Amino acid sequence: MTITGRFVALVALGVVPIVALGRSPGMAAAVLGGWLLLVLGLGILDLALAGSPRRLALTRSLPTRVRLGETVTSDLYLTNTGSRRLRAVVRDGWQPSAGAGDNRTPLLIPSGERRVVSLRLTPFRRGERRVQQVTVRSTGPLGLWVRQASLDCPGRLRVLPPFNARKHLPSRITRLKELDGRTSLLVRGQGTEFDSLREYVRGDDVRSIDWRATARQNDVMVRTWRPERDRRVVILIDSGRTSAARIDDEPRLDTAFEAALLLAGLASKAGDHVDFIAYDRRVRGRVQGAQGAELLSRMVDAMAVIDPELIEMDWSAVPGQVRAVTSQRALVVLVTSVDAPGASTALLSMLPQLTRRHTVVVASVTDPTTLSASRERGTREQIYRAAAAERALLDVARVSAAIRQQGADVVTGSPADLPPALADRYLALKAAGRL
Amino acid sequence: MTGAPAADASTRATPDAESSTPTLRLAFRRSAFWIAAGAGALIVAIIATVLAGGGQVGGPPLAADNPAPAGAMALVEVLRSQGVSVTVADTLAEATAAAAGSTDSTLFSFDADGYLTRTQLETMAGLATRTVLADPDFDAILTLAPGVGFGGLAGTDPRTASCDIPAAVKAGRVSPGGKTLSITANGDADADGLTGCFPSGATAFSLVSRTAGDRTLTLVADTAVFRNDTITLDGNAALALNLLGSGGDLIWYLPTLADVARTGPPSLGELTPGWVTPTLVLLVLVSLAAMVWRGRRFGPLVAENLPVTVRAGETMEGRARLYARSSARLRALDALRVGAIQRLAAKVGLSRLATLDDVVLAVAAAAGRAPAEVRLTLVDALPTSDRDLVTLSDRIQDLERATTRTPTSPPPGRMDP
Repeated sequence: MTITGRFVALVALGVVPIVALGRSPGMAAAVLGGWLLLVLGLGILDLALAGSPRRLALTRSLPTRVRLGETVTSDLYLTNTGSRRLRAVVRDGWQPSAGAGDNRTPLLIPSGERRVVSLRLTPFRRGERRVQQVTVRSTGPLGLWVRQASLDCPGRLRVLPPFNARKHLPSRITRLKELDGRTSLLVRGQGTEFDSLREYVRGDDVRSIDWRATARQNDVMVRTWRPERDRRVVILIDSGRTSAARIDDEPRLDTAFEAALLLAGLASKAGDHVDFIAYDRRVRGRVQGAQGAELLSRMVDAMAVIDPELIEMDWSAVPGQVRAVTSQRALVVLVTSVDAPGASTALLSMLPQLTRRHTVVVASVTDPTTLSASRERGTREQIYRAAAAERALLDVARVSAAIRQQGADVVTGSPADLPPALADRYLALKAAGRL
Repeated sequence: MTGAPAADASTRATPDAESSTPTLRLAFRRSAFWIAAGAGALIVAIIATVLAGGGQVGGPPLAADNPAPAGAMALVEVLRSQGVSVTVADTLAEATAAAAGSTDSTLFSFDADGYLTRTQLETMAGLATRTVLADPDFDAILTLAPGVGFGGLAGTDPRTASCDIPAAVKAGRVSPGGKTLSITANGDADADGLTGCFPSGATAFSLVSRTAGDRTLTLVADTAVFRNDTITLDGNAALALNLLGSGGDLIWYLPTLADVARTGPPSLGELTPGWVTPTLVLLVLVSLAAMVWRGRRFGPLVAENLPVTVRAGETMEGRARLYARSSARLRALDALRVGAIQRLAAKVGLSRLATLDDVVLAVAAAAGRAPAEVRLTLVDALPTSDRDLVTLSDRIQDLERATTRTPTSPPPGRMDP
């Protein structure tokens, strides 16, 4: 139960009779008492005439998922099962980051009828957004006193990662197709597969002429090659403590998701099998054995609810996780952070176990502000800052060199650059037949 | 049989949503324990107050309804039971009104705080046939009995009446101690009609009476004669009852603040119209209502787990501040130099494994500087002040820029395949 501004104004209006009629203190006090009794009586009458906010049947119609940054409509159907008309204001109790805004919807529901409240939701954070209850304020006919009740009507909306890097996908797929059917010596080697024979045209490498076929056809035939297919790609994302750090106002983990989605989209187009694991000390998300469009949708679904955990990554368990996914040779992409040598010891000591069997790429987001800080040297403070930035860059360089020494590849880039850089590295490995 | 399930189904089709806000009845039932506990505590407090403070009912001294030791309820009640009609007056106006209806009245007055002016005192003294003043103050003595003065404290021996006033004679003795009055010798005491009773020295008396015409004024120096706690001592009770009970009517007049004449301009309270206070009360109520209006939440707060915010550059900033605070110039410069040397080596086409001397020579050649100067910038110079640090940092940047501007010959091409 609560009161409205109109009731407050009505109480304040009592000044008029008190001043007009209150000649003596006793008279004025009597007028005051009378006025208070009057407004109290009006309020109680109003409350008694208001429709019950508890006599409502609620149904919710809501899409199950939405991509971050997009808008969905949430419909809430309210059926008045009471005998009185309900003049109400409805608030849907969405979590703040569901982006429902200041939702206060005035409604007028006659007895036995149904009305809908449509709410535009623009979530601004990835994950599962929930709503637990709907609060209804029912105003009386005079609009003085209000009955209020919170009704249970749970709902949930899964907000998927935005996959902004999908703008890079068409150009990478084009380059993938260029690899296909190329007759070049440059890409020929281990891992490329014989594709077909076709007639020689000017410009083809003479070394790819298949003489036996030429003899059969009375025409000069060349062999064409295509990149190998049905390789395995394992993407393992570090969801530990370092993935919480924000670079360019985006957590490392979100950049890792972007890079993983772009790589998965590209690799599934190229005919490879992609497996996805998010791991810190236990598996936070896993997608296995999916292909094509289903792969990406299952990946975003799994990623939506993964948040950085404030615990240290357990690198020693990673080879076991990879082995559980595949026993074949695979491209293992570790998306983590390459930082100080001390923090990377566990990663470095684990790497040989992976590189013995697999091709390993370590992808890491770098902070563009570090690079810019190392170049600003105007004042004393800026020089010390530049020195610290240089030290950080040297640390990254040292760890990267150590990783390369262990036989793995390193891809680094700013949040905007890392996803395409990783896709390019994949294409380069594909072209070189190193998968 | 068939109707009931159908009705059941229809109600089940649109069930009301479960409410998490308790109804008024439920809220009352939930907080019943606390309401009961609060009421119990209040009752206990009231009972305790009544029990503890019941015996200490206060009131002004010598008030007719004051049962405390300093009061005079005992005397008044005895007088009433003896058929004397006692009228209690708080102001001179009330006393005058009470006296108007009676021809043979007694007025008792005790002005502890000295509220009455001389004029009022004279008016009071003329109201009744007999006037008894307890513990008169200086003003009262000066106005009503100019031949009387203060006599100091009495000794501890009991005093006898030693006069012919009937009440004093009946009392015989009064309790020892207390204040006394004196009859000053400037005039003839008998001529003034002054009689002193209960002497405790040559001129000190506990009671002084003056008769002028048919009016009698009795000054009783000490209130012990009338007080609840001392009235039973010696002849106190007899004296008090005889003094006050000789007429049919007794006016019990204790002056109060209401007797004080107002002076000066009217106060603020008198000037304000009557509606001001109720309006202020109304405004307080309006603000309370406004608080309820704005303060009532529209449903419960919705909880959400928020992610931690860790800026990635924090370790770098922290290290920079550490360098700056400890003035670690050489360490900072070393970091800058190592970074510069690696970039320069890459620019002039040397591998990561090239020695420092090789890099210095190659850079000197590429930038067109003397090798010694390049070596000083990149290796040897020691910064002794922040100024040195800034200068050296600028020179390193200069060197990098110079090397960029004068590209070396392209690195040796690959062998032909």
